Amino acid sequence: MTPVVECVVAFLFGSVVGLLMQRSRFCNTAALRDAIMFKTYRNTKAMLMAMMILTLAFTGFMSLGAGHPMEFDVGLNTFAGLFLFGIGMVLAGACTVSTWVKTGEGNIGALWALIFTFVGMFLFSLVWSWNWWPPAPQVMTGQPNLPALQLGFANALTLQDRLGVPAIVFGLIQFAVLLAIYRAILRRERGQRVKHEQHQQEVAGHEA
Amino acid sequence: MEFFRKTLDPVFALATIAVLDVFLFLLLGAWTVGGGETMMTGLIAQSVLGEDLQRIPFWSIVFPPRADYWKIYISLGMLTGAFLGATLSKEFYLRTPRRTSEWLMIMVGGLLMGIGIRLAYICNVSTFFGLLPEMNLGGYLAISGIVAGAWVGSLFYKKILEG
Repeated sequence: MTPVVECVVAFLFGSVVGLLMQRSRFCNTAALRDAIMFKTYRNTKAMLMAMMILTLAFTGFMSLGAGHPMEFDVGLNTFAGLFLFGIGMVLAGACTVSTWVKTGEGNIGALWALIFTFVGMFLFSLVWSWNWWPPAPQVMTGQPNLPALQLGFANALTLQDRLGVPAIVFGLIQFAVLLAIYRAILRRERGQRVKHEQHQQEVAGHEA
Repeated sequence: MEFFRKTLDPVFALATIAVLDVFLFLLLGAWTVGGGETMMTGLIAQSVLGEDLQRIPFWSIVFPPRADYWKIYISLGMLTGAFLGATLSKEFYLRTPRRTSEWLMIMVGGLLMGIGIRLAYICNVSTFFGLLPEMNLGGYLAISGIVAGAWVGSLFYKKILEG
């Protein structure tokens, strides 16, 4: 595939994603923030649904040697970076997706967040050029490198190669865990609804 | 058209996006946003600094700026799709944060997101819709990080809301 075709495919994918996100008001930040702060799960359920479908499909295709899984070494920087990101997205009220989607809806605050995401990235490039950590992806070997706080590379495919068990088997286990979380949320929502109805009846009883 | 009048069920929307992401995974790689944003940062910096950008090794070693990087166009697509959706459903209007504290909070949030993405080499989209479904070890570490961060962020947010 030529770079131009790649860019066209990516643009079409992004456009449909942007449209569906805008029409559904889905927000990744809300999926985490609302579950933590308000115990509401509208977005959390959607995120879990996507994760379940993707787990089955990605590990299924990886079992067959298809697809383009990420070659990604993991280190303590992975945890630290996403920790900072998690704080940032709640403060900004948007994540990487919703900054673009909300900007497209005319939200100047989201555009402001986007601008400072770029600024943050540029600032980090200056720091990286000074301390050279975390190691550049080109020098990552897939093996643990403890002095650089890197743990190496492992995914469903490396498990398949090492243990001789198809990647989809591990995918099914992860799917079952995600499904259990999804069902626990549904149960909790049912409980909240029952409580709400009881409360309403009590209020109606008092008023009568 | 009904589609532009009613709010779409997010579970349906995300299930559809997941199916499309499977096709993208087979063709190019899973959905991601942070890489494209970094490349855009590099391109903007290059247009401002010109040759001086080469003095910052990050931009010659990790992310040499190039405009034909497919991940950039996912973000531009999302912007376009959202604009079309908002316009056709008559939901496009300019919304501006009112208080200075809001501008400041969003600014700090944006900076932390940018620094965090580059420190981790991934964003939240890659975490939930790429690494985790591939069962990459990084996905589990990243999810632990983002949940812990969102929890701390929520504490700050509550304090600011109440304060």
